[in-house]
Amino acid sequence: MSEKKPRREFVGDIARGVTLVGLCGAGAFLARKTSDVYAWQLDAEKCVNSRLGATGVDVCELCSSECVVNLSAVRAVNEYSKCGRCYICPAYFDITSAVDEEGLPSQKLCPRDAIERKAIGWVDPDDPANNFYEYIIDEEKCNGCGRCVMGCKEPAGLGSIKLEVRYEFCLDCNRCSIAIACPDEAYYQETEFASAEGEKAEELPAAD
Amino acid sequence: MISLRLLLILVFVCILVAPLQTLAQPYEMQYERPVDVAPTEEDIGEGYEVPPVQRPYPRSVLLEMLDVILLLTAMGLAAWIVLARRNRRWLVALTIVCLGYFGFYREGCVCPIGAIQNVSVAFVDPKFAVSYSVIAFFIFPLVLAVLFGRVFCGGVCPLGAIQELVLLRPVEVPKPIDRALGSLKYIYLILAIMVAVRPEITRDFLICRFDPFVGFFRFEGPAHMLMIGGAFLLLAVFVGRPFCRYLCPYGVLLSLLSRLSWKGVSITPNRELDCGLCMKACPYGAIENMRAVRSSCLFCARCYNACPIHRADGVELASIQNSSSELGR
Repeated sequence: MSEKKPRREFVGDIARGVTLVGLCGAGAFLARKTSDVYAWQLDAEKCVNSRLGATGVDVCELCSSECVVNLSAVRAVNEYSKCGRCYICPAYFDITSAVDEEGLPSQKLCPRDAIERKAIGWVDPDDPANNFYEYIIDEEKCNGCGRCVMGCKEPAGLGSIKLEVRYEFCLDCNRCSIAIACPDEAYYQETEFASAEGEKAEELPAAD
Repeated sequence: MISLRLLLILVFVCILVAPLQTLAQPYEMQYERPVDVAPTEEDIGEGYEVPPVQRPYPRSVLLEMLDVILLLTAMGLAAWIVLARRNRRWLVALTIVCLGYFGFYREGCVCPIGAIQNVSVAFVDPKFAVSYSVIAFFIFPLVLAVLFGRVFCGGVCPLGAIQELVLLRPVEVPKPIDRALGSLKYIYLILAIMVAVRPEITRDFLICRFDPFVGFFRFEGPAHMLMIGGAFLLLAVFVGRPFCRYLCPYGVLLSLLSRLSWKGVSITPNRELDCGLCMKACPYGAIENMRAVRSSCLFCARCYNACPIHRADGVELASIQNSSSELGR
C-alpha cells in the first residue's frame, strides 16, 4: 500500500509531462508554418469588377451583400496616383444616363453617393471640361458594392479604383462569407502579408 | 370614304410627330475615355499634391499579443480565484469582464473552439498555416487544463460566460439523459474535424457556422442562428450551460486533459464541510459523492459559494463546525 501510492502519482506525473511536451510540440509544429500576419485579402486581378475583359455580369455586388459586418469590411479605394482625374468620370457618373444642361450625365453611378468630385489644380472658370477633378471616396458611406470599380475599369477608365479589405472592420472569420460567395476566388487568406507587400508595409504605420 | 380620309390624316400626323418624339427622348452620351494616362502633379499645377491613399494594415502583432496576454492573465486569475480564494463573486466579476472583452469587443474571435478546425487543417494541409495568436489560443487552455482543470471554461470563454450569467433557475438533469446528451459533443468534434480537413473547395468550418452565440456578440447574424442562440440561452436559464456540456467540441479536449490535472477543484474535508450542500449547488452534475469530478467541473465556484464555511467567510468557522458536528450527532 505504501509503495502503490507514490507509483500512482509517478505515473500521473509522467502522463502530465508527456501531454505537456506533446502540446508544446504541436504548438511548435504549427508555429514553424506561421508568419506574423494572417488576414483575408482581395486580389484585384481576380475580382470580376476590376478584371479586364470580364463580361457576362452587370456588376458583382457580393462583397457588399455577403459580409457579416453591417457595412461591409470591403470598401472601394481610389489609387490617386493612377487616377486620370477625368472631367466625365465613368465611375462617378452613370454614363448611360441622360445628359443634363451642362453636358454632364444627369445621374451618379454610386447608389450611396459616396464619391465626392471637386476641381483641382489650376481651375479654368470658363471651361469646366478643361479642368482636372479629384474623386474622393467617403469610407464611411462606401459599402463595397463595386459599381465604381466596374465603371473605372479599362477601357472606360484607367482602372484606378479597386476593392480592398479594410482590416479595421474585417473580423477575420474562419469562413469568410464573401470568400465563399466570390465567383472568381479573388479572396485568399494571406499568411505572408508582410513580405508580400513588404514595401507598402514599411511605408504604412501599423493599424491601431 | 370618310374613314379612309381620316386614316390618311392620322398616318400623316404620325409621320409628322415621330421625329419630334425622338428629339424629345434624351440622347445617350457618346462616351469615350477622356484620358490615357494619369496626370502628374505638374500637369495639375497650383501646387497640387497627390493625396495619400488610406490603407490600413492588418491588426498588428502587438494587439494580437495583447489578446494572448489577456487570455493568460484571465485564466491565471480564474485558477487563483477558484482554487485559492474559493470565491464565486470575484469569479462572476471576471466572467463579466471576459464576456465584455472576448465576447462583445473582440466579437467572439479568436476562440479556441473554432481554432480546432484551423489547427486540424494546418496539420493536414501543407499550404495552410495558422497565426501565432490562434496557436496560443488553442494550446494555452489545454496546458492549463493539464495543470489545473477546465479553467478556460470557468471565467474566460465568452460562450460559457454568456450561459453562466443567465443560469438563474438551475434544474438537475437526470444522469442517463445527461450522459446520453454528453456524447453528442464527441460526434460534433469528429464531424467538425472531418469536414474541416477536406480538400480546400469542399472545406467548411462547421463550428463557426453553427456558433449559437456569436450572433449576439456581433449584434447581427443569420436569423435562424440568432433563434437557435436565443433558444440555447432560454434553455440555459434552467439547464446549466447546455452548449458547453453537450455540444462544445473543445470541451471534449479539455475534459480529457483535465482528467490528468495536477491541481484541480477539490472539495476537501479540511477546507470544506462534508455536508452535501455543494452537490445540490452544482448545476453541472460535477460533484459525485461529495467530491468534484474534474472532467466535468466548469470552474464556476458555486460549490464553494454554497459551502457554509466559505459563506461564513471563516469568521465563525469554529461555531459552524461545532454546530455541524452537533447536527451529525
